[in-house]
Amino acid sequence: MASESTTRPLPGRHQLSREFIAQHQRTRIVAALAQESSEKGYRQVTVADVVRRAGIARNTFYENFRSKDDCFLATQEFAMTAALELVVTAAGDHDSWADRVRLGLTAFLEYVVEEPALARTCMVEALSAGPAAVERYEKSQQAFVSLFKLGRDVSPHGRDLPETLEEAIIGGVFWIVYQRLAVGDVAAIPDLLEELIEFALTPYLGAEAAREVATGAGESV
Amino acid sequence: MRDPANPSVESPEFPPELARLPPGRHGLPREFVSHNQRERLIAGLAEAVAENGYAGTTIAHITRNAAVSRRTFYEHFGSKDECFIAAYDTVMAELRKRVGEAFDQEDEWPRAVRAGIRAMLEFLAAEPHLARLSMVEALVAGPVVVERYDAAIQSLVPYFAAGREGVSGEVLAGLSPTTEEALVGGMVSLISRRIFADRTEELESLLPDLVEFTLTPYLGSAEAAKVARAS
Repeated sequence: MASESTTRPLPGRHQLSREFIAQHQRTRIVAALAQESSEKGYRQVTVADVVRRAGIARNTFYENFRSKDDCFLATQEFAMTAALELVVTAAGDHDSWADRVRLGLTAFLEYVVEEPALARTCMVEALSAGPAAVERYEKSQQAFVSLFKLGRDVSPHGRDLPETLEEAIIGGVFWIVYQRLAVGDVAAIPDLLEELIEFALTPYLGAEAAREVATGAGESV
Repeated sequence: MRDPANPSVESPEFPPELARLPPGRHGLPREFVSHNQRERLIAGLAEAVAENGYAGTTIAHITRNAAVSRRTFYEHFGSKDECFIAAYDTVMAELRKRVGEAFDQEDEWPRAVRAGIRAMLEFLAAEPHLARLSMVEALVAGPVVVERYDAAIQSLVPYFAAGREGVSGEVLAGLSPTTEEALVGGMVSLISRRIFADRTEELESLLPDLVEFTLTPYLGSAEAAKVARAS
């Protein structure tokens, strides 16, 4: 098919290093799996689908991954690492914890909107992709816990806050995003930013202060 | 008012309709047996899924647990998926009933929220197989069940949204439209994580944290903590 041949790398000689090509291939396979999964649901995806989408040989797939599940876990890892890096960089070393949360959440939602297939794979499909995938999904939430926990130091009642608060806040944020991704409504996500910041900060700072920080965010989106 | 702290006294042991019939002859009318077979198959599926996960469960597992023939299975259900959906709906109907009743027993909204959450935690803690089926395995059982799962979670939103009625205009203005959705999502994630990790025995101890978390946007954290830690 014509479309297939155009997506394949040109055969023949090239100056690129093996390592570069290998890395590039993996990235393409991962992106293809994410696309396929978000279109038809992970369970319906076959290795043949991924191979076709990535425009690679079946052998190449198996040189990189043992199985479809193995490829899924790599996809998850890839996206989670990328998202977390963006969040950490955005939150940076701002003096104000509330600003770090605001900037971190902003970066997180931006990633979701820019990479809806990868985000959907991590946040929706992961839940049906077996125990290892669910465990990684859980781990990705835990990464945010430490960022939020710092809020206890700046909260007037930080010591009295429930132990599971951060887990619940992150669960709530993920659920809101999950709902939009599950129905393919990515366009609705940017508008949620202020609400989510306010939701996340309220237990620490009270509703009023949380809202002030959140509405300041409106401009930076 | 009945004592919401002690709902197990009034609630029949769950699930009466899932109880097994002793095998062998019994002078029961055919319709009853047929109904009962269906319930046995549902119970058999819950047991099989708890042991093998949804993907690893076969119809043979289900019929063995239910002590019925394969043919009987197909008289009731077209497939494993169909049986799972029936099981899921049965569990969720019971859960909804319990939460609704507990909630309705209280006059004040904050206490009603606490009673509803408590009823949910007690049910899930008492029925670890059904907890796993409804909160963990449902997600791997295909898009039809996932849709039902999402809807079931969203159906908890009105219990929290009812809290908007009692708050001042100022607080109300500050509540964003997705507040309840986020609260419900946060609550469910805490619950599911413990079920996934086979730590259902910890569920009931989540009560004060969940009550404080869900009431804070409406009452402020000091008042929410008071309700959470009362009783």
